[in-house]
Amino acid sequence: MTRILLIEDDSETAEAIVAELADRGFEVQWSPDGVDGLDRARSSGPDAMIVDRMLPGMDGLTVIEALRKEQLRTPVLVLSALGAVDDRVRGLRMGGDDYLTKPFAIVELVARIEALLRRPIDSRETTLHVGPLELDLIERTARRNEREIDLLPREFRLLEYMMRRSDQLLTRAMLLEEVWNYKFVPATTNLIDVHMGRLRHKVDGPGEPQLIHNVRGSGFILRSRQ
Amino acid sequence: MRQIQFIRSNTFLWALAVAAAFALFVVGLFAFIYWKLDDYLITRSDRMITTQINFIADLPSGRRVNAISDHLAQDSRGVQYAGLFDADGTRIAGNIDRVPRGLHLDGAVQGVRLDLIEKLAAHDPIIRSVGRRLDDGDILVMGRNVDETREISSVVGQALALGLLPAFCLCLLAGAWLSVRAQRRVEEVNQRVQRIVAGELRERLPEDSADDPFARLARIVNGMLDEMEAMINALAGVGNDIAHDLRTPLTRARLALERGRTHAATLEQLQEVTDRAIAGIDQSLAIITALLRLTEIEDNRRTAGFDDVALDEILREVCDVYEPIAEDKDIGLGVVIDRNVQVLGDRDLLFEAIANLVDNAVKFTPPGGRVKLELTSDDETALVRVIDSGPGISEQEREAVLRRFYRSDKMRNTPGVGLGLSLVAAIVKLHGFRLIVGPAPGGRIEILAWTRGTPRAAACGSKVLLHANANEM
Repeated sequence: MTRILLIEDDSETAEAIVAELADRGFEVQWSPDGVDGLDRARSSGPDAMIVDRMLPGMDGLTVIEALRKEQLRTPVLVLSALGAVDDRVRGLRMGGDDYLTKPFAIVELVARIEALLRRPIDSRETTLHVGPLELDLIERTARRNEREIDLLPREFRLLEYMMRRSDQLLTRAMLLEEVWNYKFVPATTNLIDVHMGRLRHKVDGPGEPQLIHNVRGSGFILRSRQ
Repeated sequence: MRQIQFIRSNTFLWALAVAAAFALFVVGLFAFIYWKLDDYLITRSDRMITTQINFIADLPSGRRVNAISDHLAQDSRGVQYAGLFDADGTRIAGNIDRVPRGLHLDGAVQGVRLDLIEKLAAHDPIIRSVGRRLDDGDILVMGRNVDETREISSVVGQALALGLLPAFCLCLLAGAWLSVRAQRRVEEVNQRVQRIVAGELRERLPEDSADDPFARLARIVNGMLDEMEAMINALAGVGNDIAHDLRTPLTRARLALERGRTHAATLEQLQEVTDRAIAGIDQSLAIITALLRLTEIEDNRRTAGFDDVALDEILREVCDVYEPIAEDKDIGLGVVIDRNVQVLGDRDLLFEAIANLVDNAVKFTPPGGRVKLELTSDDETALVRVIDSGPGISEQEREAVLRRFYRSDKMRNTPGVGLGLSLVAAIVKLHGFRLIVGPAPGGRIEILAWTRGTPRAAACGSKVLLHANANEM
């Protein structure tokens, strides 16, 4: 079972996160402060960690820094009420793998943890395969079984990102950050949906089983199996 | 308490120090005068007795005794001394009992103790004297009492002391007065400042017309207070706007939850209610996020991280992002780039600004319209222009759209937070560029940037041009 260590001082937030992750089959350990959290991280060796930035005793970033110094490469998701771009950059520079600003939707948190646990396919591959889909990264071509898919560059980028993370829930925020390199929330809220609609229209032709799925209120999944 | 304060006050201490220095100076002056006077009188009397002894020594020996008697008889004040002794030291004439010990004969005038026949005081005074051995073996001694020097000195000293005391007192009084006056003014300023701290923002420091440092300081502080009052009032206005805009979605969320709690009969109904509530809360959060972002940009000192930014690339990317959205609304979105141009700035922020402009243009242009992105440049400037066939911004609304949370009444029902243009304005301001809002009809917003290498001085007048005639640009 995948084990996750949560270091968070607010017990109500922690409770909600623990309950949600447990529902999804994770084994969650909760630690209310930085010093205790660091001890547990060393002793129990979790598969991933969620660390709040502001902690009593020891600051969240200090915990991560200490772990990284000891060559512990456990993926870490940083939670913070500080949302400024500079804070985010600092959080990632100190060794965090991803950064989520409070308040967040719980599905967003779960999606990001799952993304951290499943690192994307090796980037040295020149061809990506997901189910009937094949993406040639050198020729910049895409095909579904025998059918050529004609993609615009931005659609190609999006599909590549999704194929590297197939069967994972990808939230709108993740796509905005990673594919479009957005550092802010666009005023038009359905920006991603429109782009995804175009891509889906091309990938899932008439009569073909659906590969790109819209998860209501959360994001999108590219499924390799039906 | 007040007394101690007043004595400790700086002004008073300074006055005390000045008074002490003055007294020291006067005492020094007195000492100098005394020394000079003493020196002068002694030199004069030495000259006199030297002349006298020469005169008597030159007389034939028989007339000396008479000459000495005459000399002493003429001296009404009793300051002259003379004595004639034979070779053994026995007195022949004069009022000196014997040849003083320690007097060098045939030497210069010197101060020695004389043994007088008639004792002057309790002790024999030191008297300027000169002795000479005469050609017939007799010894002639002549002297002069210079105690009168001391008398004159004491008169001068008394006069100075008499002047010194009142001067010293005057100094102290002036110091005390200045100190009390300064303290009273500080106290007055303190009281007013306390009132300002307590929230009475309209209070000001007293400004009398005098051009003293206090009045000048008060004028400076009052200028600062004017600025701060204006800023605080503006902030309060923003606070009201935020409260209002946050209330709307929160009210919706609350109503939905309340109704759902009472009326929802099935799980589906409850879920629908919850979704509505979450949407309301999400909108509130979006407002807070946008607001924090605005503050972040306005506060930011990130100009240090500025780098070369290719505006043409940004325009193409923004166009790329918004093309499908425009297409869905049946709006033609085009980009025209005169030539590639680089400016000094923050790429992410400039992208955000231009994306916001295009977002707005697409949102407010009715279906079937057009949105055009243009980039023109010359040697010094680059102009990013976002033009749309929508309603544009009317004369009355031009200034208001840049305010936080302003949303045109016509657009009340259009989704959005209403911070878009103020965000753009903040980013443009941070870069020292200019934001130009063109006249309606038709949306027309321009960002005038200075290309790489243009002196920053040209960019100093960064501000929003509201009434520029777009046709002239």
